Amino acid sequence: MELLEDVQQNKQVLSTGCEGIDMLLQGGLCVGHLTELVGPSSSGKTQICLKVASRVATRYMGGVVFIDTGNSFSPLRIAHFINQIPDTIFKEVEQNILEKVMSQILCHSVFDIFAMLDVVHQLEYSLRSQVQTGADQVRLLIVDSISSLITPILGGSGPHGRALMISAGFLLKKLAHEHNLAVVVTNHMVGGEGGILKPALGESWKSIPHVRLLLSRDPGSSICHMSILKHSYMASGRAARFMI
Amino acid sequence: MELARLPISASQRGKLISAGYTSFSSLSSLSPSTLAQDLKISDNEALEILRVVSQGSRLDKPDGSHAIVNGAQTAWDMLHEEESLKCITTSCVDLDDILGGGIKCKEVTEIGGVPGIGKTQLGIQLAVNVQIPVNYGGLGGKAIYIDTEGSFMLERALQIAEACIEDMSGNSDFLQKDFQSCQVKAQPKDFLQNIFYFRVCSYTEQIAMINYLDKFISEHKDVNVVIIDSVTFHFRQDFDDLALRTRLLSGMALKLMKLAKKFSLAVVLLNQVTTKHTEGSFQLTLALGDSWSHSCTNRVILYWNGDERYAYIDKSPSLRSASAPYSVTGKGIRTATSKCKRIKIM
Repeated sequence: MELLEDVQQNKQVLSTGCEGIDMLLQGGLCVGHLTELVGPSSSGKTQICLKVASRVATRYMGGVVFIDTGNSFSPLRIAHFINQIPDTIFKEVEQNILEKVMSQILCHSVFDIFAMLDVVHQLEYSLRSQVQTGADQVRLLIVDSISSLITPILGGSGPHGRALMISAGFLLKKLAHEHNLAVVVTNHMVGGEGGILKPALGESWKSIPHVRLLLSRDPGSSICHMSILKHSYMASGRAARFMI
Repeated sequence: MELARLPISASQRGKLISAGYTSFSSLSSLSPSTLAQDLKISDNEALEILRVVSQGSRLDKPDGSHAIVNGAQTAWDMLHEEESLKCITTSCVDLDDILGGGIKCKEVTEIGGVPGIGKTQLGIQLAVNVQIPVNYGGLGGKAIYIDTEGSFMLERALQIAEACIEDMSGNSDFLQKDFQSCQVKAQPKDFLQNIFYFRVCSYTEQIAMINYLDKFISEHKDVNVVIIDSVTFHFRQDFDDLALRTRLLSGMALKLMKLAKKFSLAVVLLNQVTTKHTEGSFQLTLALGDSWSHSCTNRVILYWNGDERYAYIDKSPSLRSASAPYSVTGKGIRTATSKCKRIKIM
């Protein structure tokens, strides 16, 4: 009963700002859940991350922490997304809004798993110690991409890499649950048996995220497909289309 | 388990745990020599462990600052920073247009294409163009050229440098009113002097080289571009263990990303092509496989369209996909014109 109340009070959904995806996910990203985006190169993973970041910052006035491992965070693109949202029609205040919104988005570049764990720990401590007001609360944590951090340490050198991967996963989940964050991580695809693409990081990572979304893109066009691979309460296999 | 997130080796971690040190607080008040005796390791090693521990435990205490995460930047600041960043021109107007001004600093750009399409030419051109002085709209920096294939041609670099100087003095006629004052004529030799050339003969050397770059660039702050021609060569042979290859490559990619960010320089990786079997047909794609394709920020593919050379943006977080023609001339990479006589090099 208490759990249900908690769910109703704190665990809202964050709209992604893209109708197709919102419909597919029944509203958007779940707060408290770890959502994973899987897809081959240039299938729109980073674009969705940037879109969601700008959406959450404008619509919910929430803080966004973006952990970037591939120098792929593009502030220009964010500014472009924010200007597109029709809420900001007042021309004279537009610049102010843009500044305010963009100050909500924090970007941190990390280049190894230890640095990422440090950042996440730091985030946890500061969230715990701060009395948060509704406006500046951090609502979204994005790690783009987690697989490029984990791939260099995984395999070969014994179980240590795997242990780090699992502990990173659980840390993210814990953070999502305790502080009501939506966490989005991106993962890439590797060639599996018979040349069929499958998500990287193997079987043990598979069980960590609450929601796994598979992205793909038609070659030579900007239409992308998204389908649910795994979801805690929705049937898998449904798909949606969107444009970049 | 606090120790699990420290960047120390597995054997050191094992020793710490078996000696009963499992939390930061148990380690914080120790002297290096006591720890060295307890774990039967050298004093230096113990000192290193303690340094890492103190760094780790400092993060746990909020230090009064309001920042949620130390070291993070807001998107607003980054937008301004990005506006002030300069690009390295490719000397081809169409190509610069689709790239948003040229090859961007702070990013890793991968350029790939079939043999003879002009990858190395583009590499040399960038190594020369990065040195265009600031008052001509360039960066006035230096270049690092890492050659794995042995395809860097000195004569060609000299040619391109001469043509570049020619273009600069041509432009200055109407750009600079005070023409006399900038008559400090640049010499092609100076251009060559500012290219640091490294020849790499195996993949271990290549990895060692990239590890060493961090130190080298902190000594030579004016380096603005690192070109690796090609990143693929040594990784396409002598590899039985493909998982090991993937690990090495992604580790290398992260190090290059770090370099690009830390010293705000452009990293340009040249890649070869391979055929990929998809749905019954063979397609040309860039080599090194699917997991490598995630490891660069931008990806540009060079291809033939009839007898014209085209560049296509395959992947970029901020640019739309587009293609543009370019040509390789005696002067280097230039804007494609139908009148332009293409000279076959070599």
